[in-house]
Amino acid sequence: MIMEQTSVERIATQSVGTDRSRWIARPEDLILVTGANGFIGSWVVRCLLARGFKNIRCLTRAVGGSAKLEGIGQDFPASRLSVVKGNLLSREMCAQAAEGAAVVYHLAAGVEKTFPGCFLNSAVTTRNLLDAVMASGSVRRFVNVSSLAVYSNAQLRRGAAVDETCPIDTQLVERFDPYAYGKAKQDEIVREYGSKHGLHYVIVRPGITFGPGKTKIPGRVGTDTFGVFLHLGLGNRMPLTYVENCAEAMVLAGLTPGIEGEELNVVDDDLPRSREFLRQYKRKVRRIRTFPVPYSIFYLFNFAWEKYSSWSDGQLPPVFNRKTCEAYYKGQTFSNQKVKSLLGWTPRVSMSEGLERFCAYAREHMIKA
Amino acid sequence: MADQHATQIQRIGGAKLVAVCDSEPLMAKQIAERFKVPAWFTDVDEMLASARPDVVHVTTPPQSHLPIGKKCFEAGASAYIEKPFTLNTADAEELIEVANRKGVKLTAGHNGQFTHAMNKMRQSVATGFLGGRVVHMESLYCYEFGDAAYAKALLGDSDHWARKLPGSLLQNIISHGVARIAEFLTGDNLVISAQAFSSPYLQEIGQSDIVDELRLTVRDENATTAYFTFSSQISPTLHQFRLYGIKRSLIVDDDHQLMLRFDNKEYKSYMRFFVPPLVFAQQYIGNLASNVAKFARNDFHLPNEAGLFTLISLFYKSVSEGAPLPIPYREILLTSEIMDAAFEQVRINQQNRRSDEPDSEMALRECAGQRPAGGH
Repeated sequence: MIMEQTSVERIATQSVGTDRSRWIARPEDLILVTGANGFIGSWVVRCLLARGFKNIRCLTRAVGGSAKLEGIGQDFPASRLSVVKGNLLSREMCAQAAEGAAVVYHLAAGVEKTFPGCFLNSAVTTRNLLDAVMASGSVRRFVNVSSLAVYSNAQLRRGAAVDETCPIDTQLVERFDPYAYGKAKQDEIVREYGSKHGLHYVIVRPGITFGPGKTKIPGRVGTDTFGVFLHLGLGNRMPLTYVENCAEAMVLAGLTPGIEGEELNVVDDDLPRSREFLRQYKRKVRRIRTFPVPYSIFYLFNFAWEKYSSWSDGQLPPVFNRKTCEAYYKGQTFSNQKVKSLLGWTPRVSMSEGLERFCAYAREHMIKA
Repeated sequence: MADQHATQIQRIGGAKLVAVCDSEPLMAKQIAERFKVPAWFTDVDEMLASARPDVVHVTTPPQSHLPIGKKCFEAGASAYIEKPFTLNTADAEELIEVANRKGVKLTAGHNGQFTHAMNKMRQSVATGFLGGRVVHMESLYCYEFGDAAYAKALLGDSDHWARKLPGSLLQNIISHGVARIAEFLTGDNLVISAQAFSSPYLQEIGQSDIVDELRLTVRDENATTAYFTFSSQISPTLHQFRLYGIKRSLIVDDDHQLMLRFDNKEYKSYMRFFVPPLVFAQQYIGNLASNVAKFARNDFHLPNEAGLFTLISLFYKSVSEGAPLPIPYREILLTSEIMDAAFEQVRINQQNRRSDEPDSEMALRECAGQRPAGGH
């Protein structure tokens, strides 16, 4: 199958000669990508290949095929793409994966939904990988993929910008957010290895990645937990990043010199409001019944649920609570100034184009959101 | 599981979580932080010596239950040991012997015995509803591989600890369903026959080293019989228990927390087709009312949590006040013996597969009170 040249390949064609001399890795260096078979990971691999990196080691889960990566490798016949299946809970696997790598892109994450599960598959696996990285001695840059979800916006007024100066939320347990908890703990470990062991790292915090491959309406728009889709907050900006754009930012975070220790939020330009997203989804994917719920009403609901959960001794777990409501639905804006200025990155795929592609894919697959 | 235990322990008045222990220091530290536990350890001996707990909840993989259980008893602590209790009946007997010798207590993590519906069933039996002895039981326990958290991890990871159990997937799951049978067996000399095989689904995806279908028949010397069915292919995934007495019978639907009574009232002619549906409708409404009332009283936590809370509470009462054990040791051993028979069939299947005999040529084996070779 001849694939249309993607935006990342167009970038590579345009910029490969200019950028390469500044990068901290050479095209023949070994690059490790964990979570390489994932939604973003496969685009990171493709972006690296498009930029001329030939030697890529892809670490994927033991379960699941690697047809996607094999297809990518076939598009770049001069490359040496190796696929290693394993679990980062195994120190032997981590050592095998990290051996000889110059740059590590760490995107692997677990599918667990519990606190211990998320912690095990984020923090413990990262610790194992970092031990292997330090032992190998070859790694010049460790790119840790985190999430915007780790930030606290408790002190931000509605409409204020979330950027890299925002504090990390220290009440993720009270927020009942195992995913964000695992990611925040993962970041802590990376920073600890930076300060105590001299690890050269960059932390990348993508917003909501979207694009062909995903079909669901992002959780920041609303929820269908109660049988009908509740549009929450009504007009909140959505911290979207189109998958190819996000992958390119991650790749640049591993190659750009002089940014050790930096933490970078990745969101695209022209972020739509949730109502615009929903309108487009209904028009281009499928008609769904939605029910608008203003933030204030949803906040009251969360307050009531939280209180009931406490009063009933956890008969209903506090999955709805004020902290989660605030974190995801209060309504902030999102800045990408730092990632642009430090990496020279701009979103190549426009938001309108990205949404078109997402809707086309979702319509084609027609999976219930 | 550790999280679930910690959550329920903190609900029990007078109980204090004093320490947590995990061989992985990061895991020990994170659970201590989240539950505000004053001490965390990576070594069981150190934890026992320093924290000196009254009860230890052993939620480690089952291969470690025997050594950790013995350490707890030697240190003077009672132990709640998660299911599967041990790898085999010999280990279970050893643990019970040590606990008795040290004057401490143990229980097995069969919290499925204490869901709301199971408690209701037990009350009915205690009031003599069955009209006499239990004649026959049927326990159905289904399993869905779609559960990403566990099943896919098991299927995808050849090093997953559950694969290394003698009974693999079966050993980690079936004790809930088997324990229900063990509770109502009155004899100790069991005749057990088992068929165990991999479903066509697992065979198709190349995972035929995992056995996911089991059919057991059990009979004791008092002519009480039981069927146990474990299946990953039955849909919907049902968890039911049927108890047939000499006069009346009961059905427990654990998925919906219902209990139905089957009386032996007879109706004449066509009335037997019209009246009983009304009677059962009344029972369903009664179940609804009962569940709602319990929910309104904050006494209707999700069945797994409710069962865990009840079992822990009863065990603590047994330890601190000398109340009866929530699960008699005899039942723990009977459960283990029945499971051993099932795993013997798994072993035979695997042997047959290695010698290239088709899986369809299964042997029906009667293990009349025997323990399989090697204790498995």
